[in-house]
This record gives sequence, structure tokens and C-alpha cells, in this order.
Amino acid sequence: MLVRFIDALDPRQPRSRLRVALPYGVHRLLHDPGALLGLVLVSMVLLTALFADQLAPYGPTEGSLLDAKRPEAWQEQGLPGHVLGTDQLGQDILSRVIYGARVSLAVGFFGVLLASAIGVTLGMSAGYLGGRVDEAITAVVNLLLSFPYLVLVIIVATVFGRNLLNVIIIFGVTDAPVFARLVRGEVLRLRNVDFVVAAVGLGVPTWRILLRHLLPNLVGPLVTLMTFEMSAMIFYEAGLSFLGLSVPPEVPSWGNMLALGRKFLYIFPWMSIYPGLAISLTAFGVNLLGDWLRDVLDPRLRRAD
Amino acid sequence: MRLTGDPVGLMVARNATPEQREAFRVAHGFDRPLAEQFLGYLGNALGGDLGKSLRLHLPNTELIMQRLPATMELALAALALSLLIAVPLGIVSGVFPGSPLDLLARLIGLAGQTIPSFWLAMILILVFAVNLRLFPTFGRDSPQHLVLPAVALSVAGMGQMVRLLRSAVLEVCRENYIRTARAKGLSEVVITLRHVTPNALIPLVSVVGVNFTYMLGGSVYIETIFAWPGLGTLLNDAINDSDFPLVQAITIFIAAFAIGLNLLTDIAYDLIDPRARQR
Amino acid sequence: MRIKVVLFLVIVSLIFPLFPVSGQPSGELVIALPNDPTGIFIANASDVTAISATRPLYDGLVVYGADGSIQPGLAESWDISEDGRTYTFHLREGVTFHNGEDFNAHAVGTIWEYGMTPTNQWLSYYDSVASAEDIVVIDDYTVQITTSEADAFFLSEMANGWFAIPPGYLAEVGLEAFEASPVGTGPFMLEHWAPGDRIVMRAFPDYWNPEQPKVERLTFRIIPDATTRMAAIQTGEVDIVTRLNTDDVALLEFNPDVNIVSYPNDRVYYVAFKNIGNGVGTPLENELVRQALNLAVDREGLVAALFSGNGQTVSGFVIPSNLGYDPSLLPYPHDPQRARELLAEAGYPDGFGIGMSCPADAYTNINEVCLSVQRDLGAIGVDVDLEFKTTNAFWSEAHYATTGPMYVDSWSSPNGEAFWRLEGSLTPGYYYSTWTDPDIVDYLGRIAQAVDREERAALYAELSHYMYDDPPYIYLYILNLFEATTKRVTGYQPLPNETFYLNEVGVDG
Repeated sequence: MLVRFIDALDPRQPRSRLRVALPYGVHRLLHDPGALLGLVLVSMVLLTALFADQLAPYGPTEGSLLDAKRPEAWQEQGLPGHVLGTDQLGQDILSRVIYGARVSLAVGFFGVLLASAIGVTLGMSAGYLGGRVDEAITAVVNLLLSFPYLVLVIIVATVFGRNLLNVIIIFGVTDAPVFARLVRGEVLRLRNVDFVVAAVGLGVPTWRILLRHLLPNLVGPLVTLMTFEMSAMIFYEAGLSFLGLSVPPEVPSWGNMLALGRKFLYIFPWMSIYPGLAISLTAFGVNLLGDWLRDVLDPRLRRAD
Repeated sequence: MRLTGDPVGLMVARNATPEQREAFRVAHGFDRPLAEQFLGYLGNALGGDLGKSLRLHLPNTELIMQRLPATMELALAALALSLLIAVPLGIVSGVFPGSPLDLLARLIGLAGQTIPSFWLAMILILVFAVNLRLFPTFGRDSPQHLVLPAVALSVAGMGQMVRLLRSAVLEVCRENYIRTARAKGLSEVVITLRHVTPNALIPLVSVVGVNFTYMLGGSVYIETIFAWPGLGTLLNDAINDSDFPLVQAITIFIAAFAIGLNLLTDIAYDLIDPRARQR
Repeated sequence: MRIKVVLFLVIVSLIFPLFPVSGQPSGELVIALPNDPTGIFIANASDVTAISATRPLYDGLVVYGADGSIQPGLAESWDISEDGRTYTFHLREGVTFHNGEDFNAHAVGTIWEYGMTPTNQWLSYYDSVASAEDIVVIDDYTVQITTSEADAFFLSEMANGWFAIPPGYLAEVGLEAFEASPVGTGPFMLEHWAPGDRIVMRAFPDYWNPEQPKVERLTFRIIPDATTRMAAIQTGEVDIVTRLNTDDVALLEFNPDVNIVSYPNDRVYYVAFKNIGNGVGTPLENELVRQALNLAVDREGLVAALFSGNGQTVSGFVIPSNLGYDPSLLPYPHDPQRARELLAEAGYPDGFGIGMSCPADAYTNINEVCLSVQRDLGAIGVDVDLEFKTTNAFWSEAHYATTGPMYVDSWSSPNGEAFWRLEGSLTPGYYYSTWTDPDIVDYLGRIAQAVDREERAALYAELSHYMYDDPPYIYLYILNLFEATTKRVTGYQPLPNETFYLNEVGVDG
């Protein structure tokens, strides 16, 4: 009973918050062309990834050497079946860009999921338990945060070798400190809010406070950070591909296509332009969507930009 | 930390016999247990000895110091360039939200997050070096050689700074003391220069330090593309050649550098921001 | 009066360039290097880039001619004893090192002593001097070198790396200083080395051949990125770029400021089988299977599509430019039908699955080659599980254990003979040898001892037939390599052994 009372005191319960956030979000969406564009772009990429098998005219590794290095269909040397041309193996660029959405989103999505899982665990422990635990976690997090992220990723990638799972784990682990810092800060703030203080005073178990009261209040800032980090990971995947440290070359990730097509930039530009465009448009869309989410889910963060 | 791959495979002739390989191993201490290798290395590092490069047969400290000036030059130039553009643009766009300059600022802000820097670097070479012949393609011979790599390296940080400044200015403009200044009848120019700008620049200080370390990371790509003889190319070579002692040395050096820089920005922040000082 | 002076000056300036002072080196030649050399003391250099970039500082007792034959260098002539073990070299007189020290018989052994020092034995350089057992100075310009056994390739090994370094200078400054600032008798002397950036050399004014070199300054610039190298040759910031692929050539072909130089490269690309380690117990042990796999690969199509025809399919490890090549032996045809029959005959009518490793990005278009082989083998029912490895992981010590039962690789053999390729890849116990066949080992032993050229040629041909019928590899192709120079470069011809010979290279303007 008392517990229910405490719950009622919590001003930012997801249900009540949604009641405020949803109409506001829709309102912003309709009045901000940027947000709308972001939503459209991200939905397109998502749908492309989900329905790659239906959308792509060819398989990602399908092709004949006889059709290699052809430009777009509307160019003189182009083939009607290959709208965006073919790569050096005769594989269809359009199909690979479509399947690439899968790889890039998988890297971004699961990477962020892992990073936030680790980050939330560490951040909540540090923020809520305090003392030695906090000091230790904060020291490690600060150390990792002050380190150039890219150098960290490069070194970890060199240690583990290249495959999709490794890339996801690398991003998940190296990006976790960003989430840990955010969560720790939020938890520290929430700990002193009335309803939490009351809950502690009433002897509510720690796990229940963490799960029932703190976690829901973290959703807003977390989702926002996840969006931005996701676009950053799609970016870093391209960077790792550039250094030959990302997924194996036959996997159609945008980064791989860009890194490979880069060698032919001067003579077969279409091999790298379209995957490059895909990266830029996705990052663009995710960023716009992130701006919108931030405004909708967490008005407090709107000013921090 | 010991990387995968085996230096023996790269350093020794491909048709070397097992005995010759063993001689190499013993000569470089690779026959000892990993933990022992690492602890020994760490102990030496604390004493300022970062070991010797396998590939170049020179002390790592010497190699890093050889390359450091080039990287510093590039990173500082990129930082200066991003500040030079981001500060005026960020302030103007914050003071005049919705203006064409604001649009430009938002575009630059997004460019940093939507164009991979290595991609931009290659386009810059194609357009400004090969086609227009305005700038040299590679190397570090003259001030002109600095332009293209500095631009490529600066864009990501520049975008972030513009975004940050813009929102900082927007926020400051809503503060009471600005309203007071307006009420006193001060001109908009004076308000912007005397009151808005100094306050909006405070959060920038903490970002500058972070940006600088990020530029050290980005230099791995940019230096490689522009054949810039700095730490980034050294690290790339060391990774490619499994030169573990050198990779370790560069990592430790950059970590120490980044931590030092972080402390420095924290101190600067405390000095500048009176609110932080009270804490 | 003033007009006359002006006219005179104009005429002089017009005529003067037509009569350049003969033999005087002039101009600067800039060469792009794809990676940072490991060092500039050639004996420590463990990579091709370092060896080729530092080569101009040194001279060998014997050198390779353009055709791959052994020519006099610092030794004007030599005699070989009856048993083929003792070489007596008669040295060129009047040769000096860059530091002014005289070159004579006492300097010949210096690099050998360095290579024989136990701590240096792991260096690849060690190969070049290892078979020498004893060196005796007869007089100031005569020296006798004895090998441990009759060695058909001793002179070739000497041409690869037996260079003259000054004993006096080495003793004076110590090895460490020498490594940073090495001295030789070569056509160029070191001026400046900035690691990661450039190596600058100047023409050595007292070079023993007064006609060489032709350029005053020789600069190597390190440009790791291939796309940037392509940009730099187009803008003329460098004069020579190496290791172009056929697409680079297509781009530069129509550039009026650039010449394309093509040369054959003695490097055979192949798919290796293992009959040791994880190859044991696989279908690969069956001779018919290996023949079938050779028939399944469309070599012609691969060379045409991936290398625009700038390569040649091969029938084995002994290629047309090698001693003992048998032109009657034709490359395996592309015959998937016959391949399937052979597989069925071998007991695999439905094919089988097998792992294959590929050294990602290690050679021109190698990733595509791996994928293409995978596709071809798939067509006869052999399901290839392809794994790309970084070059580091691929050529690590545990190569024979960590790569799949099949892997894609290449092997060069620089001196007009296939011996090094065969020996390196087929001698049991060598680190990159994964196929053991006592008959092949026996052939190799006989070739190594056959000092007579004709005898070796016959043995090579015999071995080629043996390795065609019972193939330890899927033989793929050899490639023409391309380099590009700016139009002002004269007298440049790349060598098949992938190093620079710059004694005769000049620049106009």
C-alpha cells in the first residue's frame, strides 16, 4: 500500500509522462520539417533493412565477373539490370547498399544496446551505491572517456580480429563509459528527489527502487543518447573498414563498400558514392530524429544541445 | 596487452628455419610468459622507458618524439580552424535564430556528423589538389601542405562546437541579466560582445579539450591519407606490422597525454566559471 | 650595344641547354614508397620497400643484369674451383666508400661477419650470406670465399645481398650509429632520413663509374595511401609510383604527363592444399580431387575480368621466364564437367565442404580472387567456407595450424629460377610449407646441387610434370606489374625482383 503511495508520488512515471510527451511529440513532428524528415529517413532505412530480401534485385554476393565495374544504368556502359552499377566482382551496388543497411543497423543497434546495458549497470551501481564502488567506476569511466575513442577502438579491434560479432562487442564495450557517465549523473540527481528518499526511508528493497523508480526516469535521456551513439557507430564502422579492421570484405557493410570503392574513386566513382550517400543520409536522419526525441522525451536536455 | 598475430611471421624471412625463429624470439624476449613480458614492460614504462621498436630498432620514446611535432601541428591547426569558424558562426546563429547564417551553422553542425572525415579528405584531394591544383596532395613541407589535412580533420569538431555554442547563446539570451541589459538600453552589439559571448564561451572550454583528443584519434586516418609523418601514421604502421612494443608505447603515451589534457581543461574550467569554482 | 648584349645572352641561353655538361648529375628524382621502410641499413631491412629504397647506397661484388644474369659489380671477375665450393673474386681497384675509406679485400667480409653474429641470424638478410663458410684475403684485391657445400645459387644469393660496407667506419662509429647513417660504395650517398616522411640521397661524386648516376638528388617519399599516390603522380609531385593495379593504369593511360611502364613479375599466385595439420584426413589427400579442383577454376576468366588481361595463367611453379620451363605443359583447362567426373571417381559424387583462408588485401585484387575461386569450386559441388584473415594473422607463426586446409597465397622467385619458390613452399619444416611430398624434396635436393645449368633445366622440367599430375596447389596466374613515371624521367626500367635500379635514371628539366 505504502509502496503504491510512493509510486504515486513519482512525478515522472512513464504512463503519465507519455500522456504529456505524446501529443507534444506529434505536435513538434508536424511543425518541424526537420523532425519529419528524420523520421522518414530512419523509417526508410529500417524498412530497407527489414525487407532487404524483397527489395534487393540481387543477392549481396551474387554476380558475374563479366558484368564487373559497370556504371549506373543510365550511363553509356551501364547495364539495365544494375541501376546503380556493379562493383569489381560484378555484384549489384544497389543490392549491396540495401543489404548493407542490415549490417550497419545491426552494428549500430546491437552496439548501442550492449553499450547501454553495460553503461546502465555501471552507472546505476556507481550512482546509487556510492562510496568506493562509485570512486572505482568513475575513475575507470573517466580514464576511458579521456582516451581518444578511435585509438581505443583501433587497438581493441586489432586484438580481436574481424567479424560482425566482434565489431558489435568492440563498439558495445568501448562506448559503455558514455552511458555510464550519463546514468550515474541522473541517478545521483534522482537519489535526492523526494519520492526516492521516501522510498528508502520506508525500507523499499534496493532492487525495487532501482528498477521501479530510477530506471523509468532514465528512459528519456537514455533513448536520446542511444540515437546519437547509434549514428556515431555507423560512422565508426566505416572508419574501421577504412583501416581494414571491420567486418570481413565479403560482408556488404556500407563501411566496407566505401573503403573498397575508395580505391576506385577516381575511375569508378559509383562504387563508393552510393554507400557513402547511404551513410550520410542515415546519420543525417538519425541525428534529426535524435534532436526531436530529445525535445520530446526530456525537455531538460533541450538546452544542452 | 599483446596483440594477435605474431611479429616473428613478419620480421623473419619466409623460408627461415625453426631455429632462426627461435633465435629471434629469444633475442626479443617473446619466449617468456606473456604476463612476465607485460609486467616487465609496465615497470619500465613507469620509469619512462617505453621499450624499443621491433621494426625500426629504435627506442619508442625517440620515435614518438620524432613524430609528435607533426601531429601537434596538424591537430592544433585543425583546432584553431574549427574555433575560428565555429565561434563567430555559433554566436551569430544563436543571436539570430532562423537567419540564413543560422541555417549555415546548422548545416555545418550536421556535416560533422554526416560526412566521414576520411571520405572528406579524399574529396578534398581530388578537387583542390588534382583538379584545381590549388594545394599540394601530400606531405609536410610548407604551410600550404597543412591546409587540406587541417580542414579534413577539423570538420567533425567544428560541427560539435557550432551546435554547442548556438544552444549556449540561446540559453544565455534568456537569462535575466541580458533582459536587464536590454532594459538599460544597451545596444544589441554591446550586449552580444560584452555579455552574451563571454558567458556562452564557458561551456566551450571543456569541449575544446575533448575535441583535441578526438583529433588525435582522427589523425590516424587523416595522416595516412595525406602522408603526414605524425603519430597517426606511426600507429597505423605499427599495427600493420605487429610492432607490439611500439603500439603499446604509443597507446600509453596518448593515454597519459589525454589524461593530462583533461586535467588541464578541468582546471581552466574552474578558473573561468565562477559557478564551478564554488563547488 | 645593349641590344647586342641582350641578343648574345638570349642566344647563349637558347644553345646552352643543348650541350649539357656530360656526366654531371643534375635534377631531382622523387619516388613514392608505399610504406615506411623498416630501416636504411640494408642488412636490417626486412621488407621489400626498405631493401629497394636503400639499395642505391650500396654495391655488391656481383649484380644482376637486366635479364637476370649475374654481372660483375665490385668484383671484376671470378673463378670457381673444380668442386664448386671455392670462389676467387678479383676486385675492382680505386673504389672508395662515401666516407673516403678505400674499398679492398678486407672490406668484403664485413657484412658476412655481421650476418653471422648469432643475434642477427633471424634477419632475412642472413639468407644472402649464410652458405659462406670461410673468407680468405689473398691480397688487397683478391679474396677467396668458400661455401659449406656445392651451391648452385651462391652467386645469386651474393647479388641479392652481399654488399660492401666499410669496416673502418663501422668500427669507429659503432653499429647503432651506422644503422642510422649507413655508408656504402653505391652511386648515391645518404643525406637525410626522416622516418615516416622521406629519405634523401645525393649523387656520390667519386662513384667508380664516372657515367653514373644521372640525377643529383634522389628523394623517396613515403605515401601509405594508394589513392594519394595516384593523385601525387597526376600532379607531378612525385616522378615514379610503383605497384599500380590495372584500374590505376586505365586512369593514367590517357594522362599526357605520365608514362606507364609494364614489366613481368615473377610471382605465382595459387591456392595451397595441406597434407599436414588440418589437411590430414580431408579429401585433399586424394590426387584426383586436387586435379578436379584445378579443372574447376576458370583462370582465363579470372585474369580477364580482374586484371583486364594483364596476366597469364600458369601450368605450375616454373613459369615461362624461368629456367627449365616446358612450353608443352599447358595450364589446366576450365572443365567443370570433367572435374565433377573426377570427384565422383574419387568417391565424392556430391562434392564436399572445405575451409579456405584468404590474406585480405595482401595483393592486388586478392579478395576478389578468393571470392571468385570460392564461386568456381561451388559450381562443382565443393562448398568452400571462406575466411578472410588480416595479413598479420595470416602469416603468423602458426600459419600451418590456423589457416584452413586450403589457402590462397603467392610466392616470388627473383633470379630467373623457380628454385626459391619451390624450396620455400615445399620443404618440410619450413614455416610456410604445408605440403609434404618426399619425391619433390628429392628433386629439390638434386637441383640445389646441380651446378650445371642444363642439368638444372632438365630437373625443373621433370619436376614440373610431376607437380602437374599430382598437384600440391591450384595454380592460378602470374601478373604483369605496372609503374607510372612522369614524362621527364629517362632511362628507368623496373626490375622483376621488385627493387629499384637507379644508376641510369635521369630527369629532364
